Amino acid sequence: MKKLFSCLLGVIFILSLTFIGVGCKEEAAEEVAAPAEEPVVGEKTVIRLWAATNPAFLAALQALVDAYEAEHPDVDIQMEDFDYATYIQTLQTAMPAGEEADVISLFGSWISQYSERLAPLPAEVMSLEEARETFYKAPLEGYIVDDILYGLPQEFNCEYGGVLVNKTKFEEAGLTYPPEWKTLDDVLRDGKALTVRDASGMMTTAGFHFTSADPISASFLAGIKQRGGDYWNSDRTGFTFNTPEAKAQVEWMVNAVEIGVVDPMLFTDETNFVIDAFFSRNVGIGYIGAWAITDGKMRFPDFADEWDYFILPPIQGDPVFVADSGWGLVVSPNSDHQDVAWDFVKFATSVPENAIQFNLISSTIPAIPSVAQSPEIAEQMPWVAKELDILPYGEYLGNMPDRDLIMYEIIYPHLLRVLQGVETVDEGLEAIDTEANGTFK
Amino acid sequence: MVRVKNKKISTSKSGVAVAKRRFVLGVTIPLLLYLSVSIFVIGWAFLLIFFEYSPTRRGGPFLGLGGSNPFVGLGNFVEMVKGTSIETRLFRTSLKNTLIFAFVVLPLNLAITLPLAWLLESIGQRFKTMFRTIYFIPALMSSVGVALIWMSLYHPQYGWLNQIIRSFGGTPKAWLSDPTAGFMGVPIPMWAVILTYLWQDYGFNLVIFIAALQGIPKMLKEAAMVDGANRWQTFSKIMVPLIRPALLFVCVMTMLSSFQVFDIIQVMTEGGPGYQTQVLVLDIYKNAFRYYRMGWAAAESFVLVLIVMSVTIFQMRVLRTKWEY
Amino acid sequence: MEISTLSKATTSELTKPRRSSLKIGQGLIYFILIAGLSFTLLPGLMMILSSFKTNLELLHIPPTFWPEKPTLQNYIKILSDPKLPLMRFYGNSVFVAFFNVTSTLFTSSLIGYMFAKFEFPCKRILFGLFMTMMMIPMQITMIPNYLILAKIGLINSLWGLIVFSALDPFGIFLMRQFCETIPNDLMDAARIDGASEWRIYWKIVIPQLGAPLATLGILSFMFNWNSYLWPMIVLQKVEVRTLPVILTWFNTAHAGQTAIVMAATVLIVIPILIVFVYFQKWIVQGFTTTGLK
Repeated sequence: MKKLFSCLLGVIFILSLTFIGVGCKEEAAEEVAAPAEEPVVGEKTVIRLWAATNPAFLAALQALVDAYEAEHPDVDIQMEDFDYATYIQTLQTAMPAGEEADVISLFGSWISQYSERLAPLPAEVMSLEEARETFYKAPLEGYIVDDILYGLPQEFNCEYGGVLVNKTKFEEAGLTYPPEWKTLDDVLRDGKALTVRDASGMMTTAGFHFTSADPISASFLAGIKQRGGDYWNSDRTGFTFNTPEAKAQVEWMVNAVEIGVVDPMLFTDETNFVIDAFFSRNVGIGYIGAWAITDGKMRFPDFADEWDYFILPPIQGDPVFVADSGWGLVVSPNSDHQDVAWDFVKFATSVPENAIQFNLISSTIPAIPSVAQSPEIAEQMPWVAKELDILPYGEYLGNMPDRDLIMYEIIYPHLLRVLQGVETVDEGLEAIDTEANGTFK
Repeated sequence: MVRVKNKKISTSKSGVAVAKRRFVLGVTIPLLLYLSVSIFVIGWAFLLIFFEYSPTRRGGPFLGLGGSNPFVGLGNFVEMVKGTSIETRLFRTSLKNTLIFAFVVLPLNLAITLPLAWLLESIGQRFKTMFRTIYFIPALMSSVGVALIWMSLYHPQYGWLNQIIRSFGGTPKAWLSDPTAGFMGVPIPMWAVILTYLWQDYGFNLVIFIAALQGIPKMLKEAAMVDGANRWQTFSKIMVPLIRPALLFVCVMTMLSSFQVFDIIQVMTEGGPGYQTQVLVLDIYKNAFRYYRMGWAAAESFVLVLIVMSVTIFQMRVLRTKWEY
Repeated sequence: MEISTLSKATTSELTKPRRSSLKIGQGLIYFILIAGLSFTLLPGLMMILSSFKTNLELLHIPPTFWPEKPTLQNYIKILSDPKLPLMRFYGNSVFVAFFNVTSTLFTSSLIGYMFAKFEFPCKRILFGLFMTMMMIPMQITMIPNYLILAKIGLINSLWGLIVFSALDPFGIFLMRQFCETIPNDLMDAARIDGASEWRIYWKIVIPQLGAPLATLGILSFMFNWNSYLWPMIVLQKVEVRTLPVILTWFNTAHAGQTAIVMAATVLIVIPILIVFVYFQKWIVQGFTTTGLK
């Protein structure tokens, strides 16, 4: 009996080794295999497109897919979307097995981490120089790793400087509309007038909500740059977050909270997120990127107030700000139809007539200057025209060792705690500086 | 029991042994398959600990390890013990929170379900089934559904909870986002999450305890009463010890699942505010997929498995006594 | 024996309660139980009431209790959404659940029985392996599991979900506990009578396991039905997705429209509620014997 079972155990181990071998073979196969090109004869080429479940983006992508299929009847593009919160998990589970889609919607700042699993943009499709001439610098920079281009951006992600403004609330509070803000103090003044508290003192409407993760970080970094400072050291090998400029910016934010424009206990990133709170009538002025416009319209169709999107004045001087690249399209090296995939990517992102469709439907800022300056955009998305003035001042964030960690687990939590009164300004900045520098290994 | 002629017994004994062996073999085939998958998975998870790994990088030829997923040996563990980086800080916070969560949930759960089961046992047959069914309903819902409902209840402006508080003249609170309030050393958001978890979970244990109590012969209860025991003494000195096997099962399973809580917290607070509700599995998730650090996440998982295993073994030792009627 | 006669004699006297105190005692008990009931039901009540309100009404400050103008529009919106052919997803879920539950019941009872009643080397280690698998967080085990599934080619197939759930360590644990209490005599007798091991399993062991099998069945069904993340990753194409995946995905796509989200949640719970109410008699019996082991 014992001998038999030793044999059985041996079998178990052999089977396990086969599975391990399976794993190895997959990896090896991926490296060696050249993408097969299947000639399409009378049959449709099917390529898959993956995106996160964001109704506005999905609608925009669908429009591009339809346009491409209309021009190429032999191609069938199937779009599959996944819950946003677990999108990255889906991607990262599928990639080692080679099961990811042909074209993937990915955020620019992540590209440097995913680059080994992405196909470089072939020079025949578009060379790096061409791309540099076509797109704005900030969004494109995210897609370049070691001078190789891995995809193309569809939008200029600008979390800085734009705010949703509730016209109905402005008029109810007797404030001038459209607002004429010369300085940020004007904004704070309006914000204070719009704040409403209930009988027990709990804030039910925040006049000026800027304490979600993206707005806080955007305002913080822009504030540093506008005061003439920087958060990188001179050769970009470390961070300098604990500077007088940074301190001044944080103190400005603390002051805003003390004036009473927002309660950072109630209005954060997880609770009363800017978009949700604004479209539920809990915010007068909401600091968020322009993509919130379509997102809000789609998710809150019953919102009845009148509203619009405006640009904030800078702290001082030129409206220098930090931009985070933007969402765009990339291609998997495991795709069997790379040529078709890249053709679609080029069609969707760099052909102005198509790129503009994406931006119009998802209310994102175009990544192509000629599109951003076009009359249709000026007509349908007037805030872009207002943003056009500041877009050239946008500087790319820089290739951080771990952008998400730094933005969401270091900068945002510490700044929020400072605003909530749990940490002092100095403690917060010191912590941010130390922890951010700790990410350089 | 059928008695058999001696002749038959002697021949069938070896025959029985052979038949047994064949049966075991027959069953072990699917077992083998699963076990090889198990070993593969556990082995992979274990190997990961010694690497800096992310599925976004190709790495070396062996399952993606090596190459751009470099070997770090015991580096991850050293970092956990001695490090000062933010990951280590978050790890320690998550560990602490997980322990708080699990060790608060268990006694609270027992304190609710055991007396409730006893009370239910004392009433007549008529309503028992109805009560049992209704108490079990929360356990049927998906974690995400439960989290969404309670998020709505806890909402500072629109939630019913604050509304009830307001109508009694109290001050409403931001249950899930206020980092400054605490009760008995545990932050309010953590209590909020614990309450939600208890709500979802106590139906299970309640039903088990009811069944266990039903199994105690009436005779014993009556004998105790004859001996002059009042209700409380009957409960604590007689009934509780007799349901020890059920108690063990409940303790082990409750601890196991509370160590692995994830969905509810991810949906309700994402670990906030200020990491007050960040538990280990949430930290593992974030590190594995958001921060491209799956080797570290694997090391954290290893610590988690060790803790869960120790707690389980400990519980099994303590509550092991077998009672006979 | 003395005790019983004694108790028979004196029980009636000693346990004959005084009317008034009994009433108060019972009243108190009922009060506590009903309070508990309210606590249990309140969130569920909120969910149901909210699903009949409009999104706007849910933004009232202060919040309302009864819907001002009860409406079915949330349900209609979900049921008539062209991207949500609910019957199809319902079919997918039932398909997966059926095979999952049957295979879990079969393999768990078989393997649990083997662990309980047969001796073979390394039994403890093998069992320990099962238990360890239960304890590792799924974030880590997802990638190798997915790799294997991909190699077999079962991504985007409902069979992919079934294949992995066929062997369930929790089920095996449960069945082992209960199998241990089946008296050996039953099986030995059958062996002496010349029955094969498989027959013994089918005709003797399985009937004994009626109640715990029912329990495991319902638990397995519950877990599978509510399972969301793994099915979403494995089933990339919308047509093959299961009901809870679709509805949870729907909820995320409509985050902020609380009324619709509540309606979708109600729709997820209803099937399992029906199954539960129908089978709850068996369940409690199953829990009876299970918990005691």
